[in-house]
Amino acid sequence: MPVVRSTATARTVGAVDAATVILVLVVVVALAFDFTNGFHDTANAMATSIATHALPPKAAVTLSAVLNLVGAFLSVEVALTVTNAVVRIQETDGAPSPDLVQDGGEALLLIVLTGLVGAIVWNLLTWLLGLPSSSSHALFGGLIGATVAGLGWGAVHWAGDGGEPDGILGKVVVPAVASPVVAGVVAATGTWCVYRITVGVAARYTERGFRWGQIGSASLVSLAHGTNDAQKTMGVITLALIASGHWTSTTAIPLWVKVCCALAIALGTYLGGWRIIRTLGKGLIDIAPPQGMAAETASAATILVSSHLGLPLSTTQVTTGSVLGAGVGRPGATVRWRVAGRMGVAWLITMPAAGLVGAATWFLAHLLGGGVLGAVAVVLVLVALSGVMYVRSRRDAVHAGNVNDEWQEPARERRSATAGGVR
Amino acid sequence: MLATETGMLGQVLLVSLVLGAGLPVLFGLGLRAMARGAGGDAEEHPAGAAPRPRPLARLLGVLCFALAAAGVVLGITVVVASGLGYEVGLGGGPLFVEKS
Repeated sequence: MPVVRSTATARTVGAVDAATVILVLVVVVALAFDFTNGFHDTANAMATSIATHALPPKAAVTLSAVLNLVGAFLSVEVALTVTNAVVRIQETDGAPSPDLVQDGGEALLLIVLTGLVGAIVWNLLTWLLGLPSSSSHALFGGLIGATVAGLGWGAVHWAGDGGEPDGILGKVVVPAVASPVVAGVVAATGTWCVYRITVGVAARYTERGFRWGQIGSASLVSLAHGTNDAQKTMGVITLALIASGHWTSTTAIPLWVKVCCALAIALGTYLGGWRIIRTLGKGLIDIAPPQGMAAETASAATILVSSHLGLPLSTTQVTTGSVLGAGVGRPGATVRWRVAGRMGVAWLITMPAAGLVGAATWFLAHLLGGGVLGAVAVVLVLVALSGVMYVRSRRDAVHAGNVNDEWQEPARERRSATAGGVR
Repeated sequence: MLATETGMLGQVLLVSLVLGAGLPVLFGLGLRAMARGAGGDAEEHPAGAAPRPRPLARLLGVLCFALAAAGVVLGITVVVASGLGYEVGLGGGPLFVEKS
């Protein structure tokens, strides 16, 4: 594992300066975040297609992974200012704040590192609970926590100046509240119309037709995801490279960063967050092909239109809203609002929780002197926590083989049923 | 402070509604027309008299599907173009505008 290799490097350093060692850790942890981002978000594009059997589970995640890979390469735009949305550790042109790089970049690298750790821990925990939550919010939350711990509340970017939507208010709060509502209304309208229009058409006609409609719309969501989300990690890694003096351009991203990020997000997508796919595809509503198509089209349209108009909405919250809308829009369908409620709670606490982990790990690193020792300790904490959550997930593993099993509420019963002999 | 965001949200909702609900509607209409065009048991009908195929309805169906496909192509164009640093202008004028 790359993490182990880099901690070994840290122990054998003598001549190499501390900032370089921390930089290596930041890059590895950033790629790990990119990976969790991929498997956390497979569900957004593919949960409905898997639940309606439009695509076999493995084929669905493979298609999504390939499209994420393509999407990540398609984009030449530089998302270098990604942290500017919520904190002030960069200049507006993307260069790191000068007072944070005086010591060879260590101060900034530590904030980025602990922020990423907060984001990964929260992503893994929500995955363990099978809850779709926004990876971007986790990243922002972690960065805010680490920044507040390191620089104080003054470095938090609360709101824009009234022009472009910016700050926590414009980039996080407003999109978070609006995403499910907008997508829900669109999907409900689409679903209702589709059911009205195809009344009386033979099932063999609608089934095959909606199957293709679903595959097409889900592919569009995957592609859009690749172009948007891989960018964020590329931006973070490039920021770290500039801070430590290994890269100077603020208008280009090193090719190897691009390749690594694209591969990490695609690999994550391919492995598939089956627990989240299950919740989104089976947990909220019992989804039928017309609903699946309406939901994915609504998601694709909302994601593309919102980022085109300059108010990007969260992919995760848009897709969840779409699935709920597809449930509301079909006459006679039941929506499991309790499951939706649990997701809502997870969304509310994503930023504070990731922020707390980010802040706590920053203090830990700070206590240990903030240098190589601190960074290594933080990475070890991350590895330990990830290991615990992985082991815990094996107890009631969800995989391609059981992702479409009948949904049972509440979660406690499901667990005892699995333990009772399904396996 | 929230005025910009609210205004933009209204726009987002409107355009998303037209595209996001419009495409499924087109697709549904296409399916319906194809079924009508195929005749026989493709649609529910009174017992005994299976409707004969209607070529005109089939043409209409193909047209609906083509329009829906064009919508998807438009979506992909927007994704690819904005990834390469261009904006797709739909209000007349040049189709691809370099981003400022």
